[in-house]
Amino acid sequence: MDASALLDCVTTSSCLVTQTTSGLIVGMLLFLVAAGLTLIFGVLKIVNFAHGTFYMLGAYLAYTVFQITGSYWLGVLGGGLGMALFGVLFERFLIRRVYGANVLMQLLICYAVVLICDDLVKIVWGPDFRAMGMPPEFQVPPLFILGGVVPPFYLVLIAVSLLIGGGLGLTLGLTKIGKIVRAAAHNPDMVSALGINTTLLYSLVFAAGGALAGLAGGLAAPVRSLTPGMGFSILIESFIVTVIGGMGSIGGALIAAVVLGLIRSFGTIGFPQFTEGLMYIAMIIILVSKPSGLFGKEIV
Amino acid sequence: MRANQAALLNRRTVLAASAGSLAMPFIARAQANPLKIGIQSIFSGPIALLGTSSRGGFQPEIDRINATGGLLGRQIQPVYRDSKGQPQEAARVARELVNTDGCELLLDAEASSGAFAVQEVVRDLGVLCIHCAAETSSLTADPKLRAPTAFRSARQGVHDAIVGGVHSAKVAEAKKLTKWATCSPDYAFGRDTTAQFLEFLKHFAPNVETVSQSWPKLGQPDFTEVITKILQARPQALYSALYAGDLSAFINQGNVYAMFGAMEVFVPAMGDLPVLTGVKNLPAGIQSACRYLPAFPDTAANEAWYEAYRKANNNDYPTNWSWECATGIRLMEAAVKKAGSTDGKGVAAALEGLTIDSVFSTTGKVTMRAEDHTLIDYAIGWGTTIPKAPFLTAIEPGDWGQIAELETEWKKKNGYV
Amino acid sequence: MASGMVRTRIWRDILAGCLLVAVLAIVPALIPARAFQDFVIRCSSMALFATSLNLLVGYTGLSSFGHGMFFGLGTYSFALLMQRTGVALPVAFLLTLLITAVTAVAVGAICIRLRLIYFAFVTLAMQMLLHSVVISWVGLTGGDQGLMGGIPRRSVLGVDLGLQYNLYVFSAVVLVAGLLLMRHIVNTAFGTSLRMIRDNEVRAAFLGIVVWRVKLTVFVLSAVFASVGGMVMSLFVSGAYPELINWPISGDAIFAIVMGGIGSFLGPAVGTMILLLLNDVVTRQTEYYGLALGLIILAFALGLRRGVLDFITERLGGRPAGGIS
Repeated sequence: MDASALLDCVTTSSCLVTQTTSGLIVGMLLFLVAAGLTLIFGVLKIVNFAHGTFYMLGAYLAYTVFQITGSYWLGVLGGGLGMALFGVLFERFLIRRVYGANVLMQLLICYAVVLICDDLVKIVWGPDFRAMGMPPEFQVPPLFILGGVVPPFYLVLIAVSLLIGGGLGLTLGLTKIGKIVRAAAHNPDMVSALGINTTLLYSLVFAAGGALAGLAGGLAAPVRSLTPGMGFSILIESFIVTVIGGMGSIGGALIAAVVLGLIRSFGTIGFPQFTEGLMYIAMIIILVSKPSGLFGKEIV
Repeated sequence: MRANQAALLNRRTVLAASAGSLAMPFIARAQANPLKIGIQSIFSGPIALLGTSSRGGFQPEIDRINATGGLLGRQIQPVYRDSKGQPQEAARVARELVNTDGCELLLDAEASSGAFAVQEVVRDLGVLCIHCAAETSSLTADPKLRAPTAFRSARQGVHDAIVGGVHSAKVAEAKKLTKWATCSPDYAFGRDTTAQFLEFLKHFAPNVETVSQSWPKLGQPDFTEVITKILQARPQALYSALYAGDLSAFINQGNVYAMFGAMEVFVPAMGDLPVLTGVKNLPAGIQSACRYLPAFPDTAANEAWYEAYRKANNNDYPTNWSWECATGIRLMEAAVKKAGSTDGKGVAAALEGLTIDSVFSTTGKVTMRAEDHTLIDYAIGWGTTIPKAPFLTAIEPGDWGQIAELETEWKKKNGYV
Repeated sequence: MASGMVRTRIWRDILAGCLLVAVLAIVPALIPARAFQDFVIRCSSMALFATSLNLLVGYTGLSSFGHGMFFGLGTYSFALLMQRTGVALPVAFLLTLLITAVTAVAVGAICIRLRLIYFAFVTLAMQMLLHSVVISWVGLTGGDQGLMGGIPRRSVLGVDLGLQYNLYVFSAVVLVAGLLLMRHIVNTAFGTSLRMIRDNEVRAAFLGIVVWRVKLTVFVLSAVFASVGGMVMSLFVSGAYPELINWPISGDAIFAIVMGGIGSFLGPAVGTMILLLLNDVVTRQTEYYGLALGLIILAFALGLRRGVLDFITERLGGRPAGGIS
């Protein structure tokens, strides 16, 4: 614990600005992944343990599209769309068969998919790590704001993630389809009884969840290393975010992800040794005191 | 697809040999009593490259030995196994290779944690084993952990720390670098090598002070908060023991913050071809150790080995592990020939103090040191990166006399002698 | 059930157990494959662990994702006691059971307040917390390198467990004893209250069952059996490694249960055998065992939609003894 270093940091503008943006970028990308996880859980009550794999495949797809077209944004789009399709197939051919089965059976299916995809990635892209590299349009020196260092690329990423998150929130909150999704989360039988095609709805939810994870993978590809099995650590962090924010709550996931990012960026200065342990303790405290999470509806 | 390549190569050599000499009875006999060598490594997950590039080092040597009549007149039959990087699997695989598959010798290309588990099995079974990838010094340096029939053909962490310390101290003196930061993976290997590096750096450059230390997790996807923390500390120099995918991500993310222009950077694991070629926008001027490069030692023989490796391995680049594995099997070959058997004790006696010709050495020879069963005299040196091939220039070789001297001191301090 | 019948069943189980041990003890004389012995040792360890988890999952309806923490705690406590103190193996064995039980009371008291997926997540978080403590407490646990240097004094009543055959028979005995005890537990009145809680917690409470006390008791019991599995593993690998306390180890037990059958007492043991066999056979055949294993698991899961033993039981017209419908 280094309280004085932490105090020094929060009282100087340069450190405050730099660490805040760095916390935000980590948090926003995590939010995209966690949002899909929490959406799927909220509507279908399925814990998608293969969600980290969605993120990994999205990153690899974006990498390949970028290599072919040379366009970063096409790459990101490719990752998102590809994973939306993958999500639909995954729901249709695998998860749909175990609705209502034991949660552990669902876990087993997801585990099998993780195993298969990790090996497929190894076969298609090789066992070695891959790096997309920074697209030329972002190879610019960092900005200096109030003495803090802020890379323009990260500002763009934060903005894009916010746009995607905002779009998702607006869709769920204002549109008809959003209302149906929320209603289905609340009472699926009633929605079905009202003559709404829940089969299509569930496909749609998995498509959205897959797209979010794929977009996150694509957005992060220029600065992160692509390896088979890279989804695992993301999955664990997404679980933490989902649980703290409240399983099924998109807004909760946003706040929890940003908080987690900030804890990491300031924690690395104040208490570098035990940031990870702290996350788990926070997760336990929240589960025990308010199982539905900080922003979820009271379920238990 | 590459899984079958080893088998394919084998078949091709056997076919070529039989077509060439028409010595079918000999081959039939050789095949009837093959010499099985167990080879275990990590072929899956984020560091599957360890396995594939280790096999790339072993297989051409095995093919060469088999094409020239085998070892002790017997064809070598390698049995490759994946431990997935889990120590308990590594232990099981090692036992099974010996007990079930009938392997008479072991080549272990596990990462350090797996190698320690294999070491216990080797101690139990008394089979000869060469660790070809584990660099953690204590595996052979600590007499409590050393096993009578286990050897190491990989570089040893403390050797790198000494050469790195000497080289970095020189640069530090010349450029007046006194404020240092470190950023290394948060596990035993990362912590040990960082501590050893700082120890030797401060030994030669007493003015150096450490202003900031960061310990990101192994395989952590994002290093941003670590990078900004380093920038806050405004060091003049940075040391990092990150490697492979983590190192690549660290460099890409550091580039976003223009970190590499702001300080002198020392990264021992940079000088490996997959990293040098895999990192896009490689910054110039990073100080790095040479892990494996065709240009160090700058000899025709080394260049030829490099070309042959790429030809035999799908045009992949050899890694540091590839040369360590090639060296391991060559040492094993020489020792088995010398001992005239594959018996653990006999081969161990032959291996102790054994010197062989090697292209991976600036003197043309490497030696298996008798007292602690570890490799010495291999090519070791530091250079500076440039964005294009050959990627690392001005490589300054380490001095093995000095290494041995400082290593002994270090061993005394740790109670190993 | 008449007490006479119960007694007959107990004796029948004990007889079957003794027969199994006797058969296993002779096998090496007929088939000298040492890999078979290794397989039985690993299988004993993991089967005990998986069956103990099924006390929670199948019999009480508590899906724990963090049961591996007690398996790992068993390996670490046992290995540490053997390495750091001079106690004999049986003493270290009993002390480890005690340490696990005390820890399980503390952890269980927090976790059993939650239900369903929340219980799963809080147990997972507990395991991850314990894992990060093991990783950061380098002085005690050796951190990520684990406890190296082997386990000294590996003997029980003069039998040297350093010899493979002895360890093999020992783990078979431990497995059979553990299974018999657990079988007895689920067949007592206590076992009945477990199933009542699983089927309807509210009704169980209404009928006078103190739900939290029963849940806590079974949580501690299952933890203790898991740690026995951990100790066998510790003897097999001559130490303790952080992988043995990490999350995927919990996954292994869960998959064994699901593959073998949640509703059958021997389901988890059968599932363990299937998974270990698959692992050993497939990793020999191909480097892409993840692909192969994944496809096999999918075929199993989607084809049967339940564990192997449950499937067989249902086909034979019986009703599985436990299980979540």
